Amino acid sequence: MVIRFGRAMLYLLLALIAFTTLFPFLNVLASSLSSSRAIVSGEVTIFPVEFNWDAYANLLRDGQLFRAMKNTAIITGVGVVLQITATTLAAYPLSKRRLQGRGIMLALILFTMLFGGGLIPLFLVLKALHTLDTYWAIWLPGLISTYNLFVMKTFFEELPIELEESASMDGAGDITVLLRVCLPVSKAIIAALSLFYAVGLWNTYSSALFFLTSSDKMPLVIMLYQMIQSPAETLLAVDSSDTGVVQPEALKAAAIIIAMLPILCVYPFVQRHFVKGMLIGSVKG
Amino acid sequence: MKPTNGPTESNNAASTFRRRKRMKAFARDRYLYLMLLPAIGFYATMKYLPLYGEMIAFKDFQIMKGIWDSPWVGFKHFRLLFANEDFYLILRNTLLLNLYSLVFAFPAPIALALLLNEVRSGWFKKTVQNLLYLPHFISWVVLGGIVVAILSPSTGVINFMLERWFGIEPIYFMASAEWWPVMFTLSGIWQSAGWGTILYLAAMAGIDPQLYEAAKIDGAGTARRMWHVTLPGIRSTIAILLILRIGQMMDIGFEHIYNLQNNAVLEVSEVISTYVYRIGLQGAQYSYTTALGLFQGVVGLILVLIVNRVIKAMGERGLW
Repeated sequence: MVIRFGRAMLYLLLALIAFTTLFPFLNVLASSLSSSRAIVSGEVTIFPVEFNWDAYANLLRDGQLFRAMKNTAIITGVGVVLQITATTLAAYPLSKRRLQGRGIMLALILFTMLFGGGLIPLFLVLKALHTLDTYWAIWLPGLISTYNLFVMKTFFEELPIELEESASMDGAGDITVLLRVCLPVSKAIIAALSLFYAVGLWNTYSSALFFLTSSDKMPLVIMLYQMIQSPAETLLAVDSSDTGVVQPEALKAAAIIIAMLPILCVYPFVQRHFVKGMLIGSVKG
Repeated sequence: MKPTNGPTESNNAASTFRRRKRMKAFARDRYLYLMLLPAIGFYATMKYLPLYGEMIAFKDFQIMKGIWDSPWVGFKHFRLLFANEDFYLILRNTLLLNLYSLVFAFPAPIALALLLNEVRSGWFKKTVQNLLYLPHFISWVVLGGIVVAILSPSTGVINFMLERWFGIEPIYFMASAEWWPVMFTLSGIWQSAGWGTILYLAAMAGIDPQLYEAAKIDGAGTARRMWHVTLPGIRSTIAILLILRIGQMMDIGFEHIYNLQNNAVLEVSEVISTYVYRIGLQGAQYSYTTALGLFQGVVGLILVLIVNRVIKAMGERGLW
């Protein structure tokens, strides 16, 4: 009896924690679909009150949102390809113990994890390279995550050596071995790291804030940040023709939901890759 | 691979032989070096060139003259920094907010993992885990926006619930110097406690089931098994993560803090990273804030070196 009661409490407690974690998301989702009156009077908890799409309709009528989404899509799409290519190309040679200078290179790479140049010197470098206010200022500083590089290097090191030896015997060069032999068996790790990179780029905020200036280049999160910070300027200009004034709160809530939506949509399908990637990196690293 | 020629015109000096061997290795692996080029370019320009740029902490940096030609001023910017009250304020905030998260946010995933580890039902465990991991993948802009929205004194659901259930007057959570650090810490737990359980759960999965059987036979209940078997089983994981965390005491993630900050609470929320952005980048005081960044980096490096020593002294594998 006691044990069964304890079990029930355990499940209840965990369910409660999960609900608490989810509650803020649910509340914002409900607010984005509720009437202004209901929001202001505090009737909205986790279900929409006086359901309507006005906030979304208002946001979507505004071209800014689509432009910001397109920018984020470009930043993420191009960025992931660059990052995963550079990471794979670096991880493969570094996984070969026979490589001359491998030790020095690994030490130099590891050192960058311990000591960094800081924001201002990086800013000056990007300025000198004429990359400020271009997406290169986002892609270049994040081209390789040293952590991901080490994860991938470890993965390559643990591939069975016979696999590559038989290919080399047949006269295949290093590039062929990587493309034809190693990559096909590394799909899972490439998927996991691509996802980590993609989430990072989708959410990328500080580098856009630091290094971009043109408002037409800003990603979605910057637009969202500006909406949240200055409701008076950005939001009251939005004209709502059919149903009176839409509350800034509802608009903010709708913008928050739109910014999360892509991640929420793919999350259930890809989250096991995240966990796998995390474990490969930590257990061996 | 290319066939290797024997050392026909052999020179007896071993060094020449070694050099030839190395040249041959370079030639053999030329494609591997080719693959490394993007990475070498990346680390050289994005990691090591900024280190060279740290030099401006000791110069009066002038944009027109560039890093090299700007005049040296020695420790002027460090003296300015250490004479500035702001410095002690942001240093205090940085350390204090880190301390809060060390005390409250660090144990959270351990406690969660202990609970999750006791769950027998597969689907329940999976579902709860997936829900708990979710905030980790959401941008701090979104999370910050949500926190501000639900805590709002006029339209936030938290204040409405407090008022309706307990009759409490609306609290200005995000604009009060007492409440802000609490909300900062709680939001950190919300974002990362779930994801943080992964490593602990993996360590728990590696504990010998016989230990649990033995404890059961000895009459230990669930709580005692947690205390005497599970916790000791993940001790080294806890130790390593704790020490890594201490190594980051000088660092507070810019995005977390910047998205919760507002002018009313700068006194408790301004930290090194946000100050460098505001004063350095926006205010164009490049040399002064580079000096601050260098100070932060050096202290951080010293912390990590100490930490690595400690890990090794405990008999664990060090960080390198």
